[in-house]
Amino acid sequence: MVESSLTASRRRAVVGETRHLLFSVTPGAAWITVFLVLPSLYLMAVAFMTNGPYGLPEMPLSLDAFRQLAGFGFLGWSPGNAYTLLRSLWQTFVSTALVVIVAYPLAYYITTCREKWRPLMLLAVVVPSWTNQVIRTFGWMNLLAPGTPLSDLAESLGLIGPHMGLYPSDFAVTLGLVYNFLPFMVLPLYAAFEKLDVAQVQAAQDLYASPVRAFWHAVFPQTLPGLLAGTVLVAIPAFGMYVIPELLGGGKSMMLGNLVARQFSGGSNWPLGAAGAILMLLATFVGLYAMRRIGRRLGGGEEVVI
Amino acid sequence: MSDSTPAVTREAAETAAADGGAPPREASSIRLEGLHKRFGRDTVALDGVDLTIEAGEFFTLLGPSGCGKTTLLRILAGLEEPNDGRLLIGGRDVTDTPPHRRSVNTVFQSYALFPHLSVRDNLAFGLRMRGESAAERERKVAEVAEFIQLGSLVERRVDQLSGGQKQRIALARALVCEPDVLLLDEPLSALDAGLRSQLQVELQRLQKRLGMTFVFVTHDQDEAMVMSDRIAVLDGGVIQQVGTPSEVYEHPANAFVARFMGHDNLFAITAVDGDRVETRLGRLRLDPAEQRAESDGWLLIRPETLVLGDTLPAGYNRLEGTVEERLYRGSRIEYRLAVNGQPLMVVASNLGQRMHAVGDRVVIGVCPEDLVRVAA
Amino acid sequence: MRKRTLNRGLAGFWWLTLAFLYLPLAVVVLFSFNSVNSAAHFADVSLRWYHQLLGNEQILSAFRNSLILAIVSSVIALVIGCLIGYGMYRHRHRKLGWLIVLIYLPIVLPDIVFGISEMAFFVQINRATGLLEPGLGTMIIAHVTFQIPFVALIVYSRFVGLDPTLFEAAKDLYASPFKRALHFLIPTLKPALISAFFLSFTLSIDDFVISFFTAGPESATLPIYIWGAIKKGVTPEINAIASLMIGAVLLAALVSLLFNRPRRR
Repeated sequence: MVESSLTASRRRAVVGETRHLLFSVTPGAAWITVFLVLPSLYLMAVAFMTNGPYGLPEMPLSLDAFRQLAGFGFLGWSPGNAYTLLRSLWQTFVSTALVVIVAYPLAYYITTCREKWRPLMLLAVVVPSWTNQVIRTFGWMNLLAPGTPLSDLAESLGLIGPHMGLYPSDFAVTLGLVYNFLPFMVLPLYAAFEKLDVAQVQAAQDLYASPVRAFWHAVFPQTLPGLLAGTVLVAIPAFGMYVIPELLGGGKSMMLGNLVARQFSGGSNWPLGAAGAILMLLATFVGLYAMRRIGRRLGGGEEVVI
Repeated sequence: MSDSTPAVTREAAETAAADGGAPPREASSIRLEGLHKRFGRDTVALDGVDLTIEAGEFFTLLGPSGCGKTTLLRILAGLEEPNDGRLLIGGRDVTDTPPHRRSVNTVFQSYALFPHLSVRDNLAFGLRMRGESAAERERKVAEVAEFIQLGSLVERRVDQLSGGQKQRIALARALVCEPDVLLLDEPLSALDAGLRSQLQVELQRLQKRLGMTFVFVTHDQDEAMVMSDRIAVLDGGVIQQVGTPSEVYEHPANAFVARFMGHDNLFAITAVDGDRVETRLGRLRLDPAEQRAESDGWLLIRPETLVLGDTLPAGYNRLEGTVEERLYRGSRIEYRLAVNGQPLMVVASNLGQRMHAVGDRVVIGVCPEDLVRVAA
Repeated sequence: MRKRTLNRGLAGFWWLTLAFLYLPLAVVVLFSFNSVNSAAHFADVSLRWYHQLLGNEQILSAFRNSLILAIVSSVIALVIGCLIGYGMYRHRHRKLGWLIVLIYLPIVLPDIVFGISEMAFFVQINRATGLLEPGLGTMIIAHVTFQIPFVALIVYSRFVGLDPTLFEAAKDLYASPFKRALHFLIPTLKPALISAFFLSFTLSIDDFVISFFTAGPESATLPIYIWGAIKKGVTPEINAIASLMIGAVLLAALVSLLFNRPRRR
């Protein structure tokens, strides 16, 4: 009986609520759809088209772009693109590993400090990342150029040849990546350390004589969600990095981002660039998906990211 | 956010708002007719509520959590729309009137003071929204501050107030608008016991001085009895009983109301024989007024009506039992007895008589006039 | 005893990392006061490069572009993002999965993919219709796109932190929908709005990759100008302009941070 006698006012209210939702959400949703979702879909489509004479995509559909990305060109297979892909993976792996090595003790140290200092310490870690990436990278160019104290030191140690300078080089790119992404790892790790269950650690210290084993069994598993969140936050953008290899690698240490960008500026081969972009997107979504899965299993991984 | 109120009600509401500055208006009565409220598909919050609240009454909605009392209050405020039924305030149908056009104000459980405003601006908020002049606002705020004795609280920031102070400000903020009806949603539940009983008395006095209709929501039956002119006991979205505190306490309409009012001595009636009823305590004689032929329901024995002693007044029912537990409460002494294997509570005023010890055999006198039959 | 040694070691490591983090910025600021054009040799303190900035028409125009871009895009993003944030809050009990995905998309998409998809899309629309000529207009569109999620999330989290009965109290106290927005919503949200504006502003000023791909020939911003100068190897004033940007961004970010902090009681 109640079911059928839904009053007019109540029905009006339901309609009003829906209209309100549409009114508030539509402008933004439409904006992102038109100016980001459609462009991304278009880019994905481009990857399956043929490269035209001016670098613009044309029909027919083909998988040429992916073949080229794998290194197959007019002159048969060449290793250039494969090197770039491998270098991207390697640089991502090395810089992420280094970031973990630096960030882990750092995040731990911050949690051991007095509570009132901690926000300030986190701020100190984050502040440099607020400045422009090009400027930060330019700072490293100044520091690593030939004739600077750091380069002279490396030269006297015999690490580099005379008047070479530490940049441009793969090393400079790795350094730039570590510098750039360090805060992204410190924050989630800090969050994990702060939630650390001290009782468990003390119990472990009783159970296991050696501090190493206590750490491994009680501390490390508890920081794993933070570590994984940080890894995704570092590895995904590092894999697609453009500015740092371009400036600190000096054309010799190209990564996937540079390969993609070049197809849209100088080299002009949109389908090839789009194919590279799809690779990056895949990496992004696989990373996010993995983190969601693992985060759910370990608990608390997701909130750290957001 | 559609405002599709019929033009007539809107005009009426505006007129009502416009003469808000007049001296204390006549209190308004409230009529609820066949109110239904569901949440989602199958959560029924109110299942056909009919109720009349008289003008100038201190009326309490009492019940356990989830009984629908807060939903009912929110419908009165206009914060919730009923699925079915009508609501009349002061004889006018306001079912479809949005909350900001109803001359009704609420004191919220969480007080809901605006953190971005000073206490003074909080007090003036409703008047300002109704478009009253600055001078008028100032006069009324000063008046209410005087009336509720806010003193220097008016100059404070909201985050500098204690819980009790917030409660008074929330009350003043609602009263300053001189509404037809004031709604209070468990306004004392967050306060400690001492302050609470003090404010219970204050609120009741205030309502009598103003002559305003108050609708008060609580789950505390003592609070309801102390403060109210009348009480409606709700359960499962249905009104179980409406009556004065003594009616509800002494003659609960059913076992739920009896239990909710704190009665322990309820015994199932197994048989009726003339003026006597059979329970597991034994056979007891009833007052003729309570006699009915049906052998169902419960027998309620209020513990404070029982008499312990060897010599009983004439006509009393006689029971025998053993003291199982004794609680000394100063002004009174509570005994838990076992009578024929049934627990029976007895409360005796402490008049200096000899106390019974645990294990004592005692004789209990039950006056037939104090026995009440309660429906299932 | 061993614990103390460990802590000393960690403290040392902390200060070393801080030096690592601030060294590149310090070098840029330091050499902006160098009297000679060298990244290796500091000769004398001078304001020479700052003076030169004022005479460099390209830099001034890039500065103007950056400022217009940041302000216009932040204002648009503020309005749109606020509406979304409010909608997300009002309807938080509904299933809004699609909306959440949409809102997180600009955040998770790699910059370079973001930039080139918009560029490719804008170029094709331009070829077909003549609209969306690359320039400040397309850059504003792109910036608003990545600013919206941040504004929406800041506004949303501010709403979530509010006592929901405040909304009802405003209704109860005779505030019409319009007056509720004016006297309750906007004043309550003010800190969040200021914070969101400055964050958007910072994000816009900071962005290089997305700007780079959506810019037109006349609409170079400061980061684009700096990039070009570095690439060409002509860098005398870069330290000076970079130092000014570091200062400005730190200031804006700090303002954003101050206003986003929950009020203390």
